[in-house]
Amino acid sequence: MNATSQQQGQGQQQHPNIEGRHDDDAALSEFLASLMDYTPTIPDELVEHYLAKSGFQCPDVRLVRLVAVATQKFIADVATDALQQCKARQSAVIKDKREKQQKDKRLILTMEDLSRALHEHGVNVKHQEYFADSPSAGLDPVSRDE
Amino acid sequence: MSDGGGENVKEGENNLNHLHSKKSRSRADDFGLSIAKVAVAQICEAAGFQGFQRTALDTLSDVAVRHILEIGKTGNMFANLAGRSQSNVFDIIQGLEDLGSIQGFSGASDVHHCLLGSGTVREMVRYVGEAEEIPFAYSLPGFPVLKEREPGRTFEQTGGSPPAEHIPPWLPVFPDPETYVNLHKIDEKMAQIWEDEVGGPVEKRRELDKTFANLQQRMACNGTQPSVEVDFGNEAKEKGLVERNPFLTPPLQHGEKEVSLVLPPAKLSDEVFLQSANLEVPVSHISAMETFAPGIEAVKSGTFDFEDGRKKVPLNGRPNVRFKLGGGKRCLRVAISSQNQGIDKNSTWFGNDDGMDDKKRRVEQILKPSYESAGTDSLVN
Repeated sequence: MNATSQQQGQGQQQHPNIEGRHDDDAALSEFLASLMDYTPTIPDELVEHYLAKSGFQCPDVRLVRLVAVATQKFIADVATDALQQCKARQSAVIKDKREKQQKDKRLILTMEDLSRALHEHGVNVKHQEYFADSPSAGLDPVSRDE
Repeated sequence: MSDGGGENVKEGENNLNHLHSKKSRSRADDFGLSIAKVAVAQICEAAGFQGFQRTALDTLSDVAVRHILEIGKTGNMFANLAGRSQSNVFDIIQGLEDLGSIQGFSGASDVHHCLLGSGTVREMVRYVGEAEEIPFAYSLPGFPVLKEREPGRTFEQTGGSPPAEHIPPWLPVFPDPETYVNLHKIDEKMAQIWEDEVGGPVEKRRELDKTFANLQQRMACNGTQPSVEVDFGNEAKEKGLVERNPFLTPPLQHGEKEVSLVLPPAKLSDEVFLQSANLEVPVSHISAMETFAPGIEAVKSGTFDFEDGRKKVPLNGRPNVRFKLGGGKRCLRVAISSQNQGIDKNSTWFGNDDGMDDKKRRVEQILKPSYESAGTDSLVN
């Protein structure tokens, strides 16, 4: 494999590399076997449908589970980051207004938190702040007259 | 605001388009998207959220779907790079490394490391070990549901061999001849006449003659059928245009097809008769058949399509249809008039053939007895 081809001159290290590969191999096959026990939240049918749509051909169910787990992990990471953003905002609000402590216990996923969390992962989401029905909506009366 | 790669720009743009799209527009992927929304909501709930903004949930589920599509695309690409069409686990791991290179994973800088020990895999193993199992809320059928199409019976399947060499056996069989062929003994006689008197190429005319005779036969026989006359012909004369009750008509014989009867308007028929008597239009037999060709083709296909672009009329037992065949120069009357006015009108079948009177009379003589007997005979041999 790649590891051995790069270390041709170091014969001493080939043995542990081969053993390491065997370990990795075993680890991966164990992991794939364990995937069959673990049911990912994203259903297999959905993943199979979108994989088929993108041209991915593989009859192995374990790989479908692998993709499902990978996507679930990605979404869970994004959700955790968004949750941290939400909690940070709530704690900042509570700091300013100590009278109303914990006014809003509910943690709601908002577009603002989500866009920041997705930006960390490389997805750029831009959300409209508001929609106005005319160009002069919200302007000062003075500038509107002008 | 630098992007980590081409994929991010695409995702950002597409997210932007998604945000600007209206809710009322239904896309073909709605079912998959709604399932993804449920799954993503379950994941976020497990992460600690108690509520969602609807647009936020839509966006995140769209991102999840795109993530799956992206893994599939890169996995397929790596498989194709290696010269394979089916992907394996290494392709997926390479795809995950590509996607994870934005966030970073341990061992990403080691370009030549073995894929089995990739940092992404280790992270996933850790995640599976730590996270609790959340099964999907609903049970899903396999989708998309594919409609099973019945393959037509081929020549191979029915066990017969195709009638000609040029027809491969994997094609579907031809329909039964009784559905479209209605040969009558007239055809041979008419062909004989053409050959004897006219000469020249008969083959091309033969087929047209046969179908032309079929056309006449069907229309004449429909008119001379005793039961139909009672229901339709006499009543039509008495009461004018009467809509025939389709439930009271007698059943068709085997292989018969209902053809709507055609009554040319009385005014037109008189004019045509005068015109045909006066004008001397040189007519070639082939051109006469050609003008009938649309009618013949229509009989074959089962509908009439008028030359001046009127709408099609299906030939399945409708009431009388008045139409005009041909252009203004030469008006050919169809033999349907034989139903009402007897066999004398046969003379106008072939248009303005002044030079063809002898042959026409001979045709009449031959056709007369067959038409007289047509009322008693059934249409199919």
